[in-house]
Amino acid sequence: MSCDDELTVKVDNISFSYGAKKNLCAKTLKGITIDARQGQLIGIMGPNGCGKTTFMRCINKVLKPQEGAIFIDGKDLDRLKMMEVAKICANIPADVPDDFHLSVEEFVALGRYPFVTGIWWEGEKDEQLVREAMKAYHVTHLKDRKLAELSSGEKARVLLAKGAVQQPKILLADEPSAHLDLKFKLQVMQALKDLSRQGVTVITASHDINLIAKYADLIIVISEGGIISYGPPAEVINEDVIRVVYGVEVTVLRDNGELYVIPLRPVDPENGDDEDTRPREKGIVAD
Amino acid sequence: MEGTKASRAKLKLALILGMGSIGIVILFILSLTTGVMDISFHEAMSGLWNLIQNGGEHTDNKELVLWQLRIPRALGVIAVGIGLSVAGAVMQALIRNPLVDPYITGVSSGAGLGATLAVLAGVSILGMTTYSLPIIAFIGAVGAFMFTMALAEAAGGRPISYVLGGVIISIAMQAGTTLLMYFNADRLHGVLFWLFGSFAYLDWSSVKLIVLVVAVLSLVMLLFAKEFNVILLGDEQARQLGMNVRSFKTVMFVLVSALAAVCVAFTGVIGFVGLIVPHLVRMLIGGDHRLLLPASMVLGANILLVADIVCKTVVAPSELPIGAIISIIGAPFFGYLMIRMGKEYVM
Repeated sequence: MSCDDELTVKVDNISFSYGAKKNLCAKTLKGITIDARQGQLIGIMGPNGCGKTTFMRCINKVLKPQEGAIFIDGKDLDRLKMMEVAKICANIPADVPDDFHLSVEEFVALGRYPFVTGIWWEGEKDEQLVREAMKAYHVTHLKDRKLAELSSGEKARVLLAKGAVQQPKILLADEPSAHLDLKFKLQVMQALKDLSRQGVTVITASHDINLIAKYADLIIVISEGGIISYGPPAEVINEDVIRVVYGVEVTVLRDNGELYVIPLRPVDPENGDDEDTRPREKGIVAD
Repeated sequence: MEGTKASRAKLKLALILGMGSIGIVILFILSLTTGVMDISFHEAMSGLWNLIQNGGEHTDNKELVLWQLRIPRALGVIAVGIGLSVAGAVMQALIRNPLVDPYITGVSSGAGLGATLAVLAGVSILGMTTYSLPIIAFIGAVGAFMFTMALAEAAGGRPISYVLGGVIISIAMQAGTTLLMYFNADRLHGVLFWLFGSFAYLDWSSVKLIVLVVAVLSLVMLLFAKEFNVILLGDEQARQLGMNVRSFKTVMFVLVSALAAVCVAFTGVIGFVGLIVPHLVRMLIGGDHRLLLPASMVLGANILLVADIVCKTVVAPSELPIGAIISIIGAPFFGYLMIRMGKEYVM
């Protein structure tokens, strides 16, 4: 945290395409360039199948872009081993594996896997971090519970604890609040915000425009694999962008720096704007 | 004061291994005293002591029976119990489906077809008459497992695909076995014993091989217990934690099919052990593979020793087929698990 202006994620003109037969359009990502600084909370918006998930999978090296380069923490992603990436970049998965009787504590401890030096057991420091993370996300009382016994709100907190215990410089969270009710949605986003204030660069994708506008420092709007708009929420989000990207008429209310998007109706299909992007999702989103 | 989690886990592990080993020793000695010939506890102990001191030189008939039949048999039971349980636990983690085991994934039925081919169709490996059956059974087992894997991967590789793939391959293999038996009805006895599963025919040379393979492969899998925990997160999440998932899975699939195949190749079809044992252990002590694998090993050995003793005593001087006994216990248990997990496995 020595320098607040440090660049932690630099994405330089990347393009990515899945196998040609899987996809109608040739490229899933087209010439994406972003710079993310330490401690920023970056929200990614865009309709289903626009390439949000693909973009995030490129950042942690699960996918390799055919063109362009990505630098994390100043290092060329291409030259890092997965284990080195894992020490910099954590990821919050959508769900927990709940039919194998893993306890909450065991699950959170998996986040320490890249750092464990012994053959079998986590060290004292790892255990210390696991305890701290469980405390920070209020799951200490659940530590011996099986994952299958948790409510979705508890699962979300456990997932956050597992991400935090990895002590990442970059945290990726794809739809972290998708199945949660309003209170937990806010809690999860606040937790991500807190992490970013502690110096973690958080990149999160969400369909909830209001939620992301409330918490994100910067918003990236992706549509059909390209960046439509990039900047602070107040600059990026307006009626036109949302109509073009989501095909929905909205009213955007602004009040004291806060911003509220109220959906009105889908853009009239007879205008031809209401192209259904859902079928393409199958080829793109895989988890 | 509580110690660290690791130290508590180590204590738990020592307790499990200690209790399990005591059970194994007791049942091992009990197993030496059961069988057609009357051998008392005292005779078994003194015979065992003499044999160890004399390096297997027997001085009377009872020692001969102990040395030639009962000791190798009991050791074989322990090794196969360990091997099948570890194989089950490892397959469940690799496939991320707690409902698979060597039986479900087609290993057993593949070995069955191989064994039937060896006995009934007289297929043999050149120059290796004694080991023809286990070798061909082994090839059948590994082959069937690979077929199941290929089928499941082609169907999208979801956890349920492996169960369905295994069912399909098993049915095909069993149909082949049935046809071979139909056309060779006069020579069924030899193969039936194998298909029912039995430890009655284990000799020293096969036992040594089983023990060696089970020991080496189980040890390798134990070393990667931490990785089996990570793999439960799914391929992509495991990769993101720095694991080389593809090579890990490939190597482990090869090793686990070899482990399961060796277990069934010599002793025949013994189903459900690999399914039940890891499940019981998970219910008792949880899913951390650093405890799950060792605990499955000792529990598997204990359960199979008990089952073998039951087979030897219930209808003495005759014997019950152990595969059938295990399945009688295993089938309802499997049904129970299916109902319990029904919500997560809606097809």
